[in-house]
Amino acid sequence: MTEITLLTRDGVRLNVPCAPGQTVLAAAAAENLHLPAMCGCGNCGQCHAHVSTGGYEMGAYSPVALPDAAQGGVLLCRCMPHDDLVVELPYDDANISRRAIPEREAVIESITQAGAGAMMLALQLRPDETLGSGADFIPGQYMEFTVPGMEIKRAYSLANLPNWDGRLEFLIRLVPGGAFSTYLGTQATVGDALHLRGPMGHFKLDEASPRPRVLVGGGCGAAPLVSLLRHMAGYQEWQPEYLVFGVNREEEMLPQVLFDELRAGLPQLRIIQAVWHPSQGWGGFSGTAAEALDALLAEGMESPDVYLCGPPKMLGAARAVAGAHDVPTERIFIESLAG
Amino acid sequence: MFCFQCEQTARTDTGAGCATAKGVCGKDETTSDLQDLLIYQLKGIGQYAHLLHQQGRPDAAADSFILYALFTTLTNVNFNRARFQEMIAEAARIRDRLQEAAGTRLAGPAAFQPANDLTGLLAQASIASVRAGLDAAGADVIGLRALVLYGLKGVAAYAHHAEVLGQTREAVGAGIAQALSFLASEPVDIEDILEEALALGRLNFTVMETLDAANTGTYGTPAPTNVRITPVAGKAVLVSGHDLRDLEAVLEATKDMGINVYTHGELLPAHSYPKLHAYPHLAGNYGGAWQNQQQEFAAFPGPVVMTSNCLIEPLPAYRNRIFTMGPVGWPGIKHLGHGDLAIVAQAAKALPGFAETAPEKTITIGFGRDAVLGAAETVIGAVKSGAIKHFFLIGGCDGAAPGRNYYTEFADAVPEDAMVLTLGCGKYRFNTHDFGTIGGLPRLLDLGQCNDTYSALVIAQALAGAFGCGVNELPLSLVVSWFEQKAAAVFLTLLALGVRNVRLGPTLPGFLTPALVDVLVNRFGVLPVTEAKADIAAAMGRAA
Ligand SMILES: Cc1cc2nc3c(=O)[nH]c(=O)nc-3n(C[C@H](O)[C@H](O)[C@H](O)COP(=O)(O)OP(=O)(O)OC[C@H]3O[C@@H](n4cnc5c(N)ncnc54)[C@H](O)[C@@H]3O)c2cc1C
Ligand code: SF4
Ligand code: SF4
Repeated sequence: MTEITLLTRDGVRLNVPCAPGQTVLAAAAAENLHLPAMCGCGNCGQCHAHVSTGGYEMGAYSPVALPDAAQGGVLLCRCMPHDDLVVELPYDDANISRRAIPEREAVIESITQAGAGAMMLALQLRPDETLGSGADFIPGQYMEFTVPGMEIKRAYSLANLPNWDGRLEFLIRLVPGGAFSTYLGTQATVGDALHLRGPMGHFKLDEASPRPRVLVGGGCGAAPLVSLLRHMAGYQEWQPEYLVFGVNREEEMLPQVLFDELRAGLPQLRIIQAVWHPSQGWGGFSGTAAEALDALLAEGMESPDVYLCGPPKMLGAARAVAGAHDVPTERIFIESLAG
Repeated sequence: MFCFQCEQTARTDTGAGCATAKGVCGKDETTSDLQDLLIYQLKGIGQYAHLLHQQGRPDAAADSFILYALFTTLTNVNFNRARFQEMIAEAARIRDRLQEAAGTRLAGPAAFQPANDLTGLLAQASIASVRAGLDAAGADVIGLRALVLYGLKGVAAYAHHAEVLGQTREAVGAGIAQALSFLASEPVDIEDILEEALALGRLNFTVMETLDAANTGTYGTPAPTNVRITPVAGKAVLVSGHDLRDLEAVLEATKDMGINVYTHGELLPAHSYPKLHAYPHLAGNYGGAWQNQQQEFAAFPGPVVMTSNCLIEPLPAYRNRIFTMGPVGWPGIKHLGHGDLAIVAQAAKALPGFAETAPEKTITIGFGRDAVLGAAETVIGAVKSGAIKHFFLIGGCDGAAPGRNYYTEFADAVPEDAMVLTLGCGKYRFNTHDFGTIGGLPRLLDLGQCNDTYSALVIAQALAGAFGCGVNELPLSLVVSWFEQKAAAVFLTLLALGVRNVRLGPTLPGFLTPALVDVLVNRFGVLPVTEAKADIAAAMGRAA
């Protein structure tokens, strides 16, 4: 047995025993400390942390998910201590769930088109004896779906607001040939039961921050941003708010009713729709989401909080743009949709 | 930011005060600076309101705004920056209206024009700091002004609680406006400020009397009541804070739905008011004092409603199911008016509730002045026969600091022949301990909330009358645990009424300089707490 010391960003120390061959993630879970993590196989990068002292061995992982392995970066789901470890976690104690991540059953209530190649999926949770019947999550979080008939799991961010009716809404971009995409595009029907785990994730609003908020999304990355904006609409904050949303082609743009709803709820929200390969008549921004962000920040504003959500390539570009405009790293909040 | 208004303020070698990006309570720099500005504006409104009161044409809406706005700035009440931006804009409009009505232009805070964006406001904040003018006026003056301001906040909180129950008195609005106007004049004479502090103490006595009349007039006279402190199976709502009116509204919004309502913290005394006790679904009390709320709320299987202080940052585990009301606020947490309470019932139904009924445990509360004075003959008899040798009133707030064990030790070490009276949330440290009985009465009498100090004073005066002596000659010792600004108001009342030998702890206020502490000790007989057992011995020795 070795001992692991988990050190949260806000200075909380948690000690957990670890058996030989056990990962840090599993050891913590055995103590009912559920650290943010998702895929469990070294690919998603959600369980990224930093070891400051102690020796360990890393199981197989994707180098994309762990760019800083040489500097003590680890993926906790793959990290097996050799001796006592001190692990620095990049989040606060409040982000560590003390309850097991709930497993829920939900029934498909509706499936509607949401722009070319994307669907709005609405589910109704089945009441649970210990969890109740509400949809209790923090805007920005996601649920993990088991693809019906398969063992595999896929993550989808919630697009609606927490509610006591048990309703969950998702915006899903179909990936040709993809497992869940194929199910949703060809088989799924109203009334189907789905198995879900969640909510998970710590992509959320820094509510207390007075800075302008710039939300940037691309492709399949709309859902959590829509949820954050809907949440903000409930609180009528004073700071300037921007949504930059990019797609490849015009017909993939989110339905205009959605933008209208957001504008109605947040009078000060400015929406920039970016299309990478627009047609002749396109009246919005021509270029990628990152380029649109560049143009927006070049207009000049008080140093903002930047929320990024989308596929890794878009995130990399947008992060570089924000950095070039002197947005400090700790003011950039990122949700990567790499599965 | 700079804030030193509460007991848990950051203390270093160089002095007391929360001066980094975030206070110990979680109040951030922006919110703290905006609170300072709002208070500065209230001083300006007070200048005009004072004038209008003197001319016999008060603006009732402005008086009411002052109470509410001051209340939002108490410790652990409102952390919502955006709400303060709104109130600053509103305060400017109210000032304009009063200026118009007064037909004159006053200087100082009355002339202050807030910037219309956040950056501008934050740039203005330094003029509004509690320490503004320190170099010229000196630390004693700044500290004493702070005592007046914080006392005033406490007075405003009590007056607001009374107002929501329909009890307002013009003298209160006038007194508060006068005090704000006094602070706006940046007084420098220590004796003048002390006199103002005592006047405020007297005003607070009136305010506590008003609140007592509001509470008993609306909900009946508190009576000794057994309160269940273990849960019963079923859907559940938890109501915390101090506001009886909000609790009643939650009870109304959840009745006949199979939902049980539990009180938390300082709402425990609600069970002793007949009209609230009459709700069959007011099921019991859950949890302890405010500082344990993060664990308690996370474990509670239903929604939580926060009606006043003390609020701590809501954890993700219960962020969606905690709601604020009245002066309370936290960024991103839903704020409810009385018309919005359906969501509380909806949340209670959707959440699991308690699966099982725990074995019943109860405590007895509700010894308000009528209950105690109703037993006055017994009490007096017991004192005369020597069965009761001494009374200790252990009252006030609780907090997380280790030094607060003093109060637990104190209550447990009180000898068998002394009676313990308690009020405020500090009592959670000992109110489930077995104190037994004395002279046929329970040896621990729970008088209620911190504002029930009024009840305690009425009891003390009645006893003094019965024994033909003054309150200071009674075998009674007051042990006050202070935490926030309502305690400052109560403290000033005790001083103003000439009550001596008040033991104050667990630490002395950070805004009191050594010179000010000397004044309190030498002139008013205030005693800083030392060791529980030594303090008890000293108290009993003095009385014997
Ligand atoms: C935290 C998080 C939140 C997310 N939120 C959203 C959201 O809100 N909306 C959204 O649309 N997406 C979201 N995603 C992405 C989502 O989880 C899926 O990755 C995406 O929908 C693709 O899943 P799939 O099962 O349809 O495709 P997959 O089965 O994963 O296939 C993806 C691609 O790989 C190819 N492929 C599959 N198997 C093979 C193979 N054996 N050999 C070669 N190629 C193969 C497929 O043809 C396809 O092009 C999120 C991801 C994460 C991590
Ligand atoms: S209220 Fe107390 S803890 Fe909060 S900032 Fe002020 S002094 Fe510090
Ligand atoms: S008695 Fe004081 S500390 Fe306790 S809840 Fe009331 S205000 Fe807060």
